[in-house]
Amino acid sequence: MGDFSVVWSELLKIFPILNGEIVYPLQEIEKEVFEDVYRHLNSLGSVETFTAILDLEVESTVRNILAPKLWKQLASDAEPKEKSDQVMTIAEITAKDGLFSKFIDAVNELYDGYRCLLEMKPRLIRLNKNAASSSDVENIKSTLRNALLARLPPTFNSFISDFYSVHYGLFTKDSILSSTTIDSEVFTELPCPGCNYDHDQCCCQQLTEMVNSTNLKLLEMGLIDRLAGSALTILIKLKIKEHINDTCLGIFDRSHLKQLETWINDVVMTWLTSIFTEWRSGDDINNEQIPESVQAFKVKLTYFMYETFAQNVISQFFSIIIDYPDSTPAIEDLKICMEKIDMRVHLTESLRSALEARILHPGVNTMDILTGYVAAIKAIRHLDNTGVILEIVTAPIKDYLRKRNDTVRRVVTGLTEEGPTDLSEELAKGELIKDGKDAGLNEFSNWENWEPDPFGIDPDVLQMNNSKIIRSADIISMVVDIYGSKELFMVEYRNLMADRLLSQLDFNSEKEIRNLELLKIRFGESLLHSCEVMLKDVTDSKRINAHIHGDGNINESTLFDITSLIISAQFWPSFNKESLQLPEELENEFKKFTKAYESYKGNRTLNWRTVTGRVNIVIEIGERVMEMTVPPTQAVIIYHFQHKSVWTLDELSSLIKVPPSALRRRISFWQNHGLITETEPGVFSLLEEESEKIEFEEMNITDADEEDLESAMASASDQREEELQVFWSYIVGMLTNLDSMPIDRIHQMLKLFASNGGGVEFTQDELKHFLQRKVREHKLLFSGGVYQLAK
Amino acid sequence: MAQNISPEQSGAGGSSKHSDDSLPVKDNHAVSKRLHKELMNLMMANEKGISAFPDGENIFKWVGTIAGPINTVYASQTYRLSLDFPNSYPYAAPVVKFLTPCFHPNVDLQGAICLDILKDKWSALYDVRTILLSIQSLLGEPNNESPLNAQAAMMWNDQKEYKKYLDAFYEKHKDT
Repeated sequence: MGDFSVVWSELLKIFPILNGEIVYPLQEIEKEVFEDVYRHLNSLGSVETFTAILDLEVESTVRNILAPKLWKQLASDAEPKEKSDQVMTIAEITAKDGLFSKFIDAVNELYDGYRCLLEMKPRLIRLNKNAASSSDVENIKSTLRNALLARLPPTFNSFISDFYSVHYGLFTKDSILSSTTIDSEVFTELPCPGCNYDHDQCCCQQLTEMVNSTNLKLLEMGLIDRLAGSALTILIKLKIKEHINDTCLGIFDRSHLKQLETWINDVVMTWLTSIFTEWRSGDDINNEQIPESVQAFKVKLTYFMYETFAQNVISQFFSIIIDYPDSTPAIEDLKICMEKIDMRVHLTESLRSALEARILHPGVNTMDILTGYVAAIKAIRHLDNTGVILEIVTAPIKDYLRKRNDTVRRVVTGLTEEGPTDLSEELAKGELIKDGKDAGLNEFSNWENWEPDPFGIDPDVLQMNNSKIIRSADIISMVVDIYGSKELFMVEYRNLMADRLLSQLDFNSEKEIRNLELLKIRFGESLLHSCEVMLKDVTDSKRINAHIHGDGNINESTLFDITSLIISAQFWPSFNKESLQLPEELENEFKKFTKAYESYKGNRTLNWRTVTGRVNIVIEIGERVMEMTVPPTQAVIIYHFQHKSVWTLDELSSLIKVPPSALRRRISFWQNHGLITETEPGVFSLLEEESEKIEFEEMNITDADEEDLESAMASASDQREEELQVFWSYIVGMLTNLDSMPIDRIHQMLKLFASNGGGVEFTQDELKHFLQRKVREHKLLFSGGVYQLAK
Repeated sequence: MAQNISPEQSGAGGSSKHSDDSLPVKDNHAVSKRLHKELMNLMMANEKGISAFPDGENIFKWVGTIAGPINTVYASQTYRLSLDFPNSYPYAAPVVKFLTPCFHPNVDLQGAICLDILKDKWSALYDVRTILLSIQSLLGEPNNESPLNAQAAMMWNDQKEYKKYLDAFYEKHKDT
């Protein structure tokens, strides 16, 4: 018995854990003691039993002592950390009572215990040469891991990430130093980027040693990957995000991807390697040394880097569009990212909402929207030349522009004048508009270059706009496409041109002709035929005028010169329906001109449009002499005041055949000039007193200008209205006879029977708007998907 | 009769039935063009009480609507008709039938109409509009000499009784 207690105490000395004690480093034991104990155990025949007991004891120590101790230490003040603590400075973290030092202490203790257990095995082998190698180092490691993971407290991740952000800060200190260009004097005043202490008390060196040794211990215990892996990943992702935000935000004019990739390689990967291996700064990285887990991690991180970067770019895509083409490098970067990662849906959604928020509201000028639209077309086309993204993203812009009534006018202006939209430049490139046939041919002859539609887009959307022709169209067609019809554009162009020609009699014909030629290349001759006639009319008129004035007979007998603009009624847009009756004396002069024209042109005659034009008049009244150029109506009004100085509105209105309301507006022009006054409601009289001169000085000429701006043409929308009226009678006709019809059938019927020869295009969308309007006006009933006439 | 008969001759001639088959079909395009034009005129004229429109994609089959003429027993009724145009239109008359049941001396219970301009008095100068107007006026002024519906012809003289019978008739045929 005495022997046994001696043996037991010796055993305890060799394996202190049997007593629940964890001591490190262990006492050295002489060889004789081992032999002595072995002999005793052997004689008792319990060597095997003892080996088993020891194994069990090791395991239970790990489970019951080491793991709980570690967690207890870390959890002692583990009140859940608030998020804001994430940005805690390193100095705070390293403070004595901080998590950081606690973590290091805990790890140290754990390590001691671990080493102690490790020692047990060799000793057992020394004791019993036959001891099976069942519990080797790996076994202890995995037991330890299991024990720790089984009771992992939720706060542990924050310890890890704190620890490693210090580690990261220390590690990247050098690269930050080398990349900062602040000169050294200023720099020394800033805290050290590694430890955040002032430079004279920088503790980087000391910290680095602490951190490295702790890390090594964790590594040796095989705990980094399993325990710290997820926290590390989160930390690294955070760092990548920060880095991308720091370096790339708002900078579009150069490419960042290369730089980011090098950064991942040089900084992040070396850092990771340093954690996972025993590598120390200064050593060269040897590929063979990098463990496989790190290699695999690198792929993941690179992917994450691309994703983060792409998201970063996408969130700023609106600015990129506006900066285009200066922002081309950013788009190129995004393109590379999109090849690796599918971000299309994200891109389209974020861009759509950005566009809607930024430009599609009433506060934005149509011109600005157009500029944005054109820039978006260019930028997105650069990104994705299949045009699918473009179509989806720009659909809301198109819808919105369609609702603005000055869109067509703006586009036409953009096409013909220099402006921010670059439309005129695009036009000058002179590419032929792709019409359906050619594109179809290309698709077949060019089948080798065919590319499938990009994936990740709602297939319904794709099917809806399945025509490649539209998607591959150029910018001008995209802009023209807003209204879905180039005819409408051409009509508006014609109207604008007619306005220009009529208002500026000394117009720049060279520029007009150049524009016209460019448009002809693009839209085809037939649509612009009438414009050509209009221009020709203008030049012809000059010639005819010259000829008639050259005729001596006319010149002698006229009271004043008439210069006419002779237009071919069929080719000009319809005029608005204003009228004006000229005084007899004046009309006679016009008749003379007509006669001269008739004699010159054979069997043609002139219909005078008296409302449009210019009159140079000289007014002598009292002592005043005024020389001015006014529209004909104004001239006629003042002409009538020559003979009679008081007129009632109705009298004058019936004499010159201008409706009273319009006449009143015209008279106000002279009221502003101080020549006419309204003595009592509806009665106007001439002012001959010079005392009114003050008023004359004050008068505002802008009124006259406003008159000039009034278009002589019926606007395109008015004409459209007339067309719609035609369609309406067809719709009434079909609904009367066929009772009720769904919209697509109505549309089909209209296309079949109503677009007879006129070549009028009418999209189903347009039809829908139109029908809905009729429903609102109670002319139609809509129920169950079909339209019916209201009873 | 010669195969390639001139349309004018056949139109003016009596036997429209024969000319219907013998006319070459190549005129198809011209016919549909004419029908398009008639449709446009009809739509633009927007005449009260009569209307017609192609029934589906085939421009040779139309559906017409006429309102019963005011001050007759047929007032406030509307009638649907079908118009089938032959390939030889307008040199042959279209086949016009009532789709809505119509109790009338010159209309049989299958909807066939006895009207001279649709038979031997047809001329190429008539068009959909005039056909519909003729049928509309036929409602108010039946030709009792050659009735298709003898009962109606007999009852016609007593307008009050006729009206009563008519209302009962429509009550009966409401669903059709």
